[in-house]
Amino acid sequence: MIHQKGIPMKSVDESKLREIFGDNNVKTDPSDLYAFGSDSSVHHAMPWAVVRPDTTEQVQKLMAYANDALIPVIPRGGGSGMCGQTVPIQGGIILDMKRMNRILEINLPDVYCRVEPGVVDDDLNLALKPHGMFYPPTPASSRIATIGGEIANNASGVRSVKYGATRDAVLGMKVVMPNGDLVTLGAHTRVEASGYQLHKLMVGSEGTLGIVVEATLNFVPIPEYRCMGIANFDDLSHAGGAIGAIMSSGATPSMLELVDSVAIKAVNKTMNLGLKEVAASLIFEADGMVKEAVDYEINKMKEICTKHHGSDIKTSYDPKERAKIFMGRKKLFPALSKYDDSLSSTSLADDMAVPYSKMAEMAGKIHEVAEKNNIIMTAYGHCGSGCMHTKILMDTNREDQWASAKKAITEIYEYVRSVNGTTSAEHGIGLSKAESFKMEKADSLRLLQTIKQALDPNNILNPGKLMQAPEDWVTATGLRYAVHN
Amino acid sequence: METKEKTRFKHLEKWDSTLSACIRCGYCFEHCPMFKYTGWESDAPRAKIITAFGLLSGELEPTKMAADKIFNCFYCKRCEAACSSGVTLTEVFTDAKKDLVEMGLKGPGTTSVTYLNCARCLVCVKACPHEARFHGEDGIETDPVKCQACGICVEVCPAGAAKIENNFGTGREDLIAESSRFLSTHASAKAIVFACNWSYFPDLQASRLPESETHDKDYEIYVNMCAGRLESQLLMAPFLNKAWGVLVASCPEDECQHKNGNTRAKKMVESLQSTLERVDIDPARLQVVEIPAGDKTLFQAEIDTFIDRLNAMGPIR
Repeated sequence: MIHQKGIPMKSVDESKLREIFGDNNVKTDPSDLYAFGSDSSVHHAMPWAVVRPDTTEQVQKLMAYANDALIPVIPRGGGSGMCGQTVPIQGGIILDMKRMNRILEINLPDVYCRVEPGVVDDDLNLALKPHGMFYPPTPASSRIATIGGEIANNASGVRSVKYGATRDAVLGMKVVMPNGDLVTLGAHTRVEASGYQLHKLMVGSEGTLGIVVEATLNFVPIPEYRCMGIANFDDLSHAGGAIGAIMSSGATPSMLELVDSVAIKAVNKTMNLGLKEVAASLIFEADGMVKEAVDYEINKMKEICTKHHGSDIKTSYDPKERAKIFMGRKKLFPALSKYDDSLSSTSLADDMAVPYSKMAEMAGKIHEVAEKNNIIMTAYGHCGSGCMHTKILMDTNREDQWASAKKAITEIYEYVRSVNGTTSAEHGIGLSKAESFKMEKADSLRLLQTIKQALDPNNILNPGKLMQAPEDWVTATGLRYAVHN
Repeated sequence: METKEKTRFKHLEKWDSTLSACIRCGYCFEHCPMFKYTGWESDAPRAKIITAFGLLSGELEPTKMAADKIFNCFYCKRCEAACSSGVTLTEVFTDAKKDLVEMGLKGPGTTSVTYLNCARCLVCVKACPHEARFHGEDGIETDPVKCQACGICVEVCPAGAAKIENNFGTGREDLIAESSRFLSTHASAKAIVFACNWSYFPDLQASRLPESETHDKDYEIYVNMCAGRLESQLLMAPFLNKAWGVLVASCPEDECQHKNGNTRAKKMVESLQSTLERVDIDPARLQVVEIPAGDKTLFQAEIDTFIDRLNAMGPIR
């Protein structure tokens, strides 16, 4: 366990926590703490206590106490973060926000909703559906991810190519600051030019600057028509060419996904889907209120795929056919987990973004690096947003495999930075990506630290993350696996 | 990097690679009735897998609290259906339970127990679909490894001596209280739907809606662990609170996870329909429908049909 300078290891005043939250909302037994020491990342560390607020006042009281006693506080939503954002590497109190899960208002005339941070993304969409609306940033983990967690990580997903990421949907918020003060940021309006737009700064801050206790979010109408298509490519570079051409054509895909040969093989191996084993497939979608407009968009994308040597191109409006087209992509996540009994699927270097023209080269780089380091890596992702996902399949019990993975990741991130890409497109930095993040943002690190220092002078909110995270995450943080020499 | 020592979990040991293979995505816990009830992530299936890993690796002491994490499970297997890594979670839990029992940590968690007023009539032994209840040295006992917490023994026991002490909201009293609360707080309330865990798979909403979205709600769904557990007091309670009707959703024939829970439910509903008829109440106000696991479209359609029928009948006069 590492300790930041100035924050000594402290024990928590349990009676104080029980006074604020009530006995039923405080956990201190090791069996509970152990479970809260994990998220969806490779890391693990024990917190000192877990508390569950129901009101903003309780959050304020906790922060006032923690700020005074110099105890780290780590806000937590669904615990689906993939880079260790909620793993308490300096101990402290986990602030589990899932109980603050009220959808406070659905305001149709003003096209916004107000929600508490513990509202689950899918639940919000269930509530908006009867009004013909949806909340579009939705990541793949929407059945568990909370709005608070999505704000903390600027989450996005398959439809973000058209509708944007979380930051684009957040109009305003109420935030409890590290000293317990409550501030209202942003407004209930679509645009705002009143100063620093601090609500946008909070998005993606990974729980290091403040605790969102209410968010005002924009939503959009559910489109009447949705058409999906697929094209196969015998050469990765042809698929890459098609991506750039689609994005610069004037067509607006509501989804543009790349699946590489390794991914197709994985799906075929574990799910027996019988997909054609080509170098890459592109899955594209258009949506809208007018069928002719959707036809225009989808035909344009088809034409571009054909021009770039795409084959087996098909499109469909039928929901069942669309589900079939998307099956290979949808089943990829579980397919990688089930690929080989001796290998685990790990979230490492899993969401970088590069310019469109580099997507194909990036996928090729991933294959090259994986082969060189004797691990399995696949390239897939929301290429319409420039986001490339990978998973590293390895024997997580073997120390040498971790060394290989670390080496591979370092090489991949070097490439990403060399083409002016970014370390994380969707999942955030947390612990696992800090090394590359610090290199990428080298000339603004001091600026970032100044902001952190100004807002959280005692460094109690989620310390040891982002620019404070240790460079060598494999050795400097606890891994959640039983690693043997 | 830490090297972890393994302990004496010889049954759990075979799941070593599985515990690493779980990618901890958490897709399981939105489906877990226990998580829905307590809201604590540490009660969710993922936490049980983390606990099992901790026990096996020696990072977590096998205490009563840690053991309870494993023993608190209704074996509904909804987590397994949702698992993106294909982990057979309940098989892992069963093996962990075997080891814990050998260490003297026997739960009970959600497994059933027998109170002193047991008359040893053996009805529960006969009714248990999992052969978990038996006549032992101390009278009627439960094998905590075999028990899957369906609760059928609780409902068949004439002495009220079979109990599940940790119901997590699925016991008779909880369901009566909750359904009464809904009926008394919603002017538009007409029906209560008692759905077995499989027939309601997989949509359970966790977040709370504003009053403006729910004030005209005409039915509420309550989940129980097996339709075979539904008995007359529970099924008739909503009528006392002015419900227009009660709908029971169970698994289709031959698909019950607890052998014959669905046929027990059917017989119970038929018997109560006769009772309603005798007091001049339309027996169609109490219905049972079969829903295959995961068919939420059919489930919603059956509810809509039932509500339409109730609207045609009006309230009970």
